[in-house]
Amino acid sequence: MRQAGVWGLAWKRFRRDRLGFTSLIVVLFYAALVLAAAAGWLARDWNTEAGVSFAPPSFLGPEAADSPQLAKAAEGAQPVADYGIPDPLAADLAEIAKSMTGGAAGQSRAPTLPLGGDKWGRDVLKKVVKGTETSLVVGLAAAVLATFLGTVFGALAGFRGGAVDDFFNWLYSVFTAIPYLLLVLAVAAVIGQKGVLTVILILGLTGWTGIFRLVRAEYLKHKVREYVLAADAIGASPARRMFVHILPNVSHVVLVQLSLHVVLFIKSEVILTFLGFGVGVDTVSWGSMLAEAGSELLLGKWWQLTVATVAMALLVTAFSLFTDAMRDALDPRLK
Amino acid sequence: MNLLEVRDLAVDFRIDEATRLRAVKGVSFDVPVRSTVALVGESGSGKSVTALSVMGLLPKENATVDTHSRILYRGRNLLELAQRDMQALRGRELAMIFQEPMSSLNPVFTVGFQIGEVLRRHVGLSGRSVRNRTIELLREVGITDPERRLDVYPFQLSGGQQQRVMIAMAIACEPKLLIADEPTTALDVTVQRQIMDLIAGLQQRHEMAMLFITHDLALVSEIADHVVVMRDGEVREQAPASQLFRDPRDAYTRALLACRPPRDRRPQRLPVIDDFLGSGRHASIQDPTPERKRGLRGDEATLLEAKGLAKSFHFREGLLRKRELQAVKGASFRIAKGKTLGVVGESGSGKTTVALLVARLHEASAGEVRFEGRDLLGIEGRAAMPYKRRIQIVFQNPYASLNPRFTVGQILTEPLQIHGVGAHDAERRAMAAELLAKVGLPPESLEKYPHEFSGGQRQRIAIARALTLKPELLICDESVSALDVSVQAQLLNLLQDLQDEYAMSYLFISHDLAVVRYMADEVMVMKDGEVVEIAGPDELYAHPKHPYTRLLLSAIPGRAQ
Amino acid sequence: MLAYTLRRLWQFVPTLAGVVLLVFFLFNWVGGDPAYLLAGKIPNPETIANIRKQLGVDEPYAVQLWIFVKQVLSGDFGVSWSTNERVSEIFASRLGPSLTVLVPLLAISTLLGMAAAMLVAYVRGSLTDRAVMVACTVGQSISILVYILVFQYLLAYQLGWFPVQGWGVTFIDNLLRYAVLAIIVGVAVSLAPDIRLYRTFFLDEINQDYVRTARAKGLSERRVMWVHVLRNAAIPIVTNVLLQLPGLLAGAFLIERFFGIPGIGREVILAVERSDFPIIKAVTVYVAVATMVINLLADLLYKAIDPRVVLK
Repeated sequence: MRQAGVWGLAWKRFRRDRLGFTSLIVVLFYAALVLAAAAGWLARDWNTEAGVSFAPPSFLGPEAADSPQLAKAAEGAQPVADYGIPDPLAADLAEIAKSMTGGAAGQSRAPTLPLGGDKWGRDVLKKVVKGTETSLVVGLAAAVLATFLGTVFGALAGFRGGAVDDFFNWLYSVFTAIPYLLLVLAVAAVIGQKGVLTVILILGLTGWTGIFRLVRAEYLKHKVREYVLAADAIGASPARRMFVHILPNVSHVVLVQLSLHVVLFIKSEVILTFLGFGVGVDTVSWGSMLAEAGSELLLGKWWQLTVATVAMALLVTAFSLFTDAMRDALDPRLK
Repeated sequence: MNLLEVRDLAVDFRIDEATRLRAVKGVSFDVPVRSTVALVGESGSGKSVTALSVMGLLPKENATVDTHSRILYRGRNLLELAQRDMQALRGRELAMIFQEPMSSLNPVFTVGFQIGEVLRRHVGLSGRSVRNRTIELLREVGITDPERRLDVYPFQLSGGQQQRVMIAMAIACEPKLLIADEPTTALDVTVQRQIMDLIAGLQQRHEMAMLFITHDLALVSEIADHVVVMRDGEVREQAPASQLFRDPRDAYTRALLACRPPRDRRPQRLPVIDDFLGSGRHASIQDPTPERKRGLRGDEATLLEAKGLAKSFHFREGLLRKRELQAVKGASFRIAKGKTLGVVGESGSGKTTVALLVARLHEASAGEVRFEGRDLLGIEGRAAMPYKRRIQIVFQNPYASLNPRFTVGQILTEPLQIHGVGAHDAERRAMAAELLAKVGLPPESLEKYPHEFSGGQRQRIAIARALTLKPELLICDESVSALDVSVQAQLLNLLQDLQDEYAMSYLFISHDLAVVRYMADEVMVMKDGEVVEIAGPDELYAHPKHPYTRLLLSAIPGRAQ
Repeated sequence: MLAYTLRRLWQFVPTLAGVVLLVFFLFNWVGGDPAYLLAGKIPNPETIANIRKQLGVDEPYAVQLWIFVKQVLSGDFGVSWSTNERVSEIFASRLGPSLTVLVPLLAISTLLGMAAAMLVAYVRGSLTDRAVMVACTVGQSISILVYILVFQYLLAYQLGWFPVQGWGVTFIDNLLRYAVLAIIVGVAVSLAPDIRLYRTFFLDEINQDYVRTARAKGLSERRVMWVHVLRNAAIPIVTNVLLQLPGLLAGAFLIERFFGIPGIGREVILAVERSDFPIIKAVTVYVAVATMVINLLADLLYKAIDPRVVLK
């Protein structure tokens, strides 16, 4: 099987870019994580209040907890040994302390969690895994929707020209007259309800404009190229020229745009959820984690903020570097 | 006395992480004071890289010059000079002009500013004197109305004028050495003549030495004292010009000289490089093959007749007005069965538009094209399909006419598929393989992609594609113009063989008069969208009637040969 | 030039009509019945009917559309549903603070971005180049929210160098005390994408033939970069900066919200949170008009600085 086709050559070039290749590995790792989370193998119980309120990360140890005395009392340790006389109220104190640190009857709550806990004691590690699932699913699905719309509109407008082009250009100018985030917020405000599907639709139906402009420009450029004229000369129909001839030559642009929009939509979803318009309360996303982090920071609890930020930064950086490497590998000046 | 001495120049390019390419493999030659040395070679020979090395303008990210190389200018090794010393020499004693004048000039600065820069930097002029000197220079290079032209931007000038401006910038400081890298290749033939005359005159007057780089041996014969022939990064032969043309020693040089269609004869076949290099046969350039007869008797059947063909493009200007550009203003001609109609003209003559109109790839604004009695331009849509089969076209740019994402097999079987030829895929592939053999390519090519082939090979594939539908008329729109001379000869031979075999008619379009004279039975000259003259090839070249035809003919290089 | 401007202005009409239709479609049709939102906890039918009458949503759609069109043409969008202020007055008072932050932000981030991009483009391919590019990528991958939270926490809350939030009375006071942190955060966020974009512009120019000619003339590298390349690269950069403006107007809303700057952006966020439709509708229309005008200005500016451009 000869690998001399454009994709084969691009793959070879891509492999040589170590940074890009590493980024791909990271992205695939995240993807695997998401699949596991979606299938329920990981982080299914993220919502359970497994730890004490604001449980610190394990590597910091329970000393980082809010009030050491309370914690000690909850464990039943004798706070002060006063001249050997046992404290008659010790047992009662222990009971009260236990209830204050959230230890319900019978249930023991962990004093620390691997990456810390939030206000309700939920495991941050599990939340971030589940949050990855939300963000990646939303980002990908919305990007696919936007890319599909943008490509079809762009192909029609660029190739057909005339009234079709005028219509799509008008649509484009209307959508781009309103700055992106404002448009998204306006739509979100109107729809009112939250949820993953809603977010995907909002982002996908408003985010097609960039792709449209690029695909249209590509079609305008290719329409007059000799290989398309040659296809016309041998009798190829317009539809055939649009999708069998030109589209494969434009696919690398589309792919790069898809990738860029995944990043854009992940960031947009985070902002939307942060403001309260994104996914619902029963779904965790990096946005909701950051929303909680705002007030936590004032109390000196930095772990949820850090974990969410690092997880997001790592994925987005890897995705961006991967996109750059892909774009370099697919450079059509190869031919 | 030598102004410039190049010794063992070797240059490497880093293509990507893994590959290095040695573009120049050990080149040595001299440029004596006040003489013209021509560096001749086809694409990939390394001649431009050599020139850039002398000036120190190789891209530093990926080009490295071998440490053993030396470029001695008046005794100093340019390769060892510090950046600042080199900058002091460039523009002052060493000057260079390039192939594409439009992109070589900064688009956002005026002509006067760009010329003035050199004067300020090297001669230390300022203020009024810069302006005056610039006007003088513009006048010297033949720019009319220099006082006004001082303040225009490059895009407002024609190609020839832009090149004159570049020349003015180069000679501004009276350099000792002028390097000209294909300065006329991008220009029309008539403009080329003017620029060459200008350069020759300037060189004499300013007593400059010149290193002239080109692929056109005919051009060289007019101006060079000394010729260096390069191929694949090496020097194949170097000799004084008169000796080289009279008695070339190297097989490649002989091949280069022989491959061009000769001015006075018309051999059955053009000699190709392999004749000289491959089998070791020592062919001479006076090849005694029989001549081919060209010309129309007058009684041949007509395949296609065009009457009053016209095409206008409309632009919006101002608020409501429309502007009209007439690309073709009324062309009438006749193509006989099995014969070739050649079309010559410079850029803007409308010759390519005529081709696209006949092929029905553009809509004509007026006129008719009669093919077998029917007016092609009146037929619409599906009814036009059978006619599409019978008129095919091969384009100029071999790098753009094949879909980069298709395999050769897909490219060749697609027309068969669309028109329902062949019962199933296997049969179509067999037909494609046959056609490949006809154009001289092996059947394994079916699995390969266009980028795996050279320019000449791609044109063969394009020809094969055109042949799949067995056309009666093949339009060749500058099909050999983008190819090296040696490859050109091969392709012309191929086209001729195919015409002999299939009795196809050709509409052969080119700006190259020598090639058209060789290929055509009748020649049509176009200028500014109009047909200026139509005559038989020998008649036209011997006794041109229209003044423009005479101008064109006089502009062909190589008179001194 | 005049003919071109007139033709472009004429083209505003269908676009504005489209925007009006889109906004109307979103808010009057999809948007559902706001009466329930505003009726409070006890929505009895009479109150609902009253509110609907007040807001005008009990009329048929065609009438509502006509009312909206009149509003757009007159610039009077009625009153805010939550504060009862006149919408047009809200904007007039909010524009100032927004610009106090935006203009310095734009100026500083552009200059820094350009300088950094030019340096990086010059050493293209080197380790510095790759390192800076990766740093930019990482910088862009951190949500703006994190920048706001962290900067606010560290520089204002912990170190106390700036006020955490708020706005003053005099212009100088605002510029030098309250806006500073917002500007710093804004610059930090825009720097990475700006450097990446401008670097592309510079690289496009550095590889052009005219740069080779300039070197062949013996000009110093400094002159080649700062005069020849910069002048050409400035064209797309300047137009890009101008085109960022409408996006910034609305996009700075996060910054304004968290730093308590009473600008247009903050107004929008509050309106969205409270489902205050008149404000959101009005902002959308205003910003759309501003975008179209700015696009036209950008094109005219492009023509002024690039001699090759022929406006058709």
